[in-house]
Amino acid sequence: MSYVTEPRRPSMVDRRPSMAERRPSMANGRKPSVIPQLAGIEKPISPQTPETCDVLICGTGLVESILAAALAWQGSNVLHVDSNPYYGDTCATLTIDQLKDWVHSVNQHTPGFQGFSKALLYIPRPQDLVSRDYGIDLTPRVVFARSDLMSLLTKSRVHMYLEFQSLSNFHTFENDSFGKLQTSKEDIFTDQSLSLATKRHLMKFLKFIFEYDSLDNLALVESYKDKSIQDFLQDRFKLDGPQINELVYSLGLSASPDISIPEGLSRIRRYLVSFNVLGQFPVLFSKYGGPGEVSQGFCRSAAVAGSTYKLNCALQSFDPKTKLAKFSDGTSAHVTEKVVCSPSQAPPHASYVPEMKYEITRLITVVKKSCREWMAENETAAIVVFPTASLSTNNKYPVQVLIMGAGTGTCPVNQCVWYLSTIQKGEVARKDLEAALLKLEDSILRESEDGFDVSLDPEDIIVKPDGATVINSVKLGKSFKDFVPKEKLQYLFKLCFTQHTAVPPFGVVSSSLFDTSAEKPTTDGSGVIPDSTVIYSNMPSTEISYDGVVTEAKLLYEKIVGSDDDFFDVDFENEDEDNDTLTDVAAGDEDAIIDDDEEEHSKAFKDEMDFDL
Amino acid sequence: MSAPINTEEPRFAQFKLVLLGESAVGKVLHRFVKDSFDDFRESTIGAAFLTQTILLDHNTTVKFEIWDTAGQERYKSLAPMYYRNANCALVVFDLTKQESLEKAKSWIKELQRQANSDIVIALTGNKLDLVQEDEGAREVSEDEARAYANELGLLYFEVSAKTGQEIKESFKSIAEKLPIEEKVNPRQGRRSRNVDLSRPNTNDQQACGC
Repeated sequence: MSYVTEPRRPSMVDRRPSMAERRPSMANGRKPSVIPQLAGIEKPISPQTPETCDVLICGTGLVESILAAALAWQGSNVLHVDSNPYYGDTCATLTIDQLKDWVHSVNQHTPGFQGFSKALLYIPRPQDLVSRDYGIDLTPRVVFARSDLMSLLTKSRVHMYLEFQSLSNFHTFENDSFGKLQTSKEDIFTDQSLSLATKRHLMKFLKFIFEYDSLDNLALVESYKDKSIQDFLQDRFKLDGPQINELVYSLGLSASPDISIPEGLSRIRRYLVSFNVLGQFPVLFSKYGGPGEVSQGFCRSAAVAGSTYKLNCALQSFDPKTKLAKFSDGTSAHVTEKVVCSPSQAPPHASYVPEMKYEITRLITVVKKSCREWMAENETAAIVVFPTASLSTNNKYPVQVLIMGAGTGTCPVNQCVWYLSTIQKGEVARKDLEAALLKLEDSILRESEDGFDVSLDPEDIIVKPDGATVINSVKLGKSFKDFVPKEKLQYLFKLCFTQHTAVPPFGVVSSSLFDTSAEKPTTDGSGVIPDSTVIYSNMPSTEISYDGVVTEAKLLYEKIVGSDDDFFDVDFENEDEDNDTLTDVAAGDEDAIIDDDEEEHSKAFKDEMDFDL
Repeated sequence: MSAPINTEEPRFAQFKLVLLGESAVGKVLHRFVKDSFDDFRESTIGAAFLTQTILLDHNTTVKFEIWDTAGQERYKSLAPMYYRNANCALVVFDLTKQESLEKAKSWIKELQRQANSDIVIALTGNKLDLVQEDEGAREVSEDEARAYANELGLLYFEVSAKTGQEIKESFKSIAEKLPIEEKVNPRQGRRSRNVDLSRPNTNDQQACGC
């Protein structure tokens, strides 16, 4: 993804000294630490709301949380508040009860819920749902193994608060069935459904993608400047519809057919270079919830570095003259530098909330089926994409679906959460999503009837003394019978809503959006405007991956600090290796490993592509 | 990994321990970790959480991954992540302040609401040094606190964060209550695999082109 970087400010005068510069160097011979004193350990925690802070951040969405952590580790005194009783704000992971309240607030236009509209919730048997068994994401996302967020998670150590699982199955809906994408050389060669010519063309394209940067290839792309990516793939690589759809909508996860060739190619490349970085899969997701969970991790990191956290605390007003921020709980704080606020948490009577002209329509449902048929072995999630014009509604935009099974920690066993979304607008969008939902339902019923999808309890599996497992045969026989009548899919929960954003599809938020330098009136006839100098962050983008999130946090950071040079400029030593000599005895027993074929993984995908056509 | 179970083979198990209670909690933690590491470096703890390893018996090693609240408890703003999969909790109160026991009780309620039902909770009275010096300073009687702990099935300790007295012992008692066998030999059957992000070359800075 490319964005235009502003020329760096020539003067660094208003740049805050970095943490290392501000702290007197350590006297006792240790190397100077960039680590601030730790809340609660080295410095006593004050029981009062801080009366002053450098930066006030309102909203604990992912971008704001990354920003808070970056500022805190840089040495800023951050006060981070959220009007909600939970972390995550517009990208929260919620229980069923929390979602009920959320829907109510959205439809009541409660302050703090701008950015969402038209929420419809359907729970046929409320008594069957245990609220806290569910973690429903407002904006689910997957993270590419090679991406800026992945680097930041490990660098900041925030990954240690989280658990990640792999996702390898990307299905494309075509001719009324789901095709699974072939992305390795072996898969392409062994796929019976592909003709020899198609195989050759696909391989040629994959090779091209890896050499995309060469001058010849760039010139080639340039010569197709006015063409669509679909035309390019067809004309140049002789690929046909199904392959093009797989490449653009599944590998590329493009939310729109209108995509430039360089953008489309970089999205396909993004998938391919992520393959085999951490294992034989392109993307991962965090367990127990997506961005809502990752937000909590960054907030914790910020808190460790000294930030103050206050949930249930809404910004009421900010006076640009006195620099006093007032909150809904009656407290106030003097902000010495900047106020950053999520549009969803804008103060009452705000005048400068950025216009949000883009929409995402989401349909989230919980079904009573494991949906294992769609997932790779040892995995608990999958992606399904309905390309443009593949549905009965002749959908203009693709419908993207994230399938999260029980193993993701977000729903009970033998259930599954389906997240459908499209960037289509209004009623058309809802019809597209319903059409896709019907296809998903048909498909899972058919596939699970063909197979041996027996719902087994742990007691049904008997482990023999030699370690072999045997499945309770009574249950097996019974389920064969159950397969005869066509069952109906049970929906336990269904939620539809529209989300608004200022970020165009494929775009990374532009830096100008955060511009507060333009003179804005600070008062009007009725008094002080509460947000004339507030920097607004953005609602989550339409992107189904985490791409763009770190960029946005960096842009905001630069607005505040003056440069992003010391964005997360921390160097944590590896405590496990340095400190825990005792544990070496039992190395390898860590809970979180867990890939067997290390050798295979070290082999980059690129090497696999070195062959003659 | 299906190695045969051999009782003489070293056993290693890791558990998540969360700290709750009055603000001296942090000091208890500091003491506990400092106790065994002379060259303990503060820079290592900023990143995530403290770890402390204790030898339970000649072949059993228990590693505690210790999470402190980082101050997020002050405005009732602890994230669900804090309680998630916590195996044990140390709820600390001040033996010289009656109201701190009430606060501890509300934390225990919160744990029962948010944490796994099998969590091992240790109610821990701090400032043992003060009440040993002057019994008059004690506001919470041992009988009262112990009775409450027994009623709810909690462990009970009295410690001094200042001197380190009884701290090691209390961690050891917690370790003894933990399901070590289960951790050493995890359950059979299909399990989804977590990916260890720190395993491959994480210094790869070229990231994606975004």
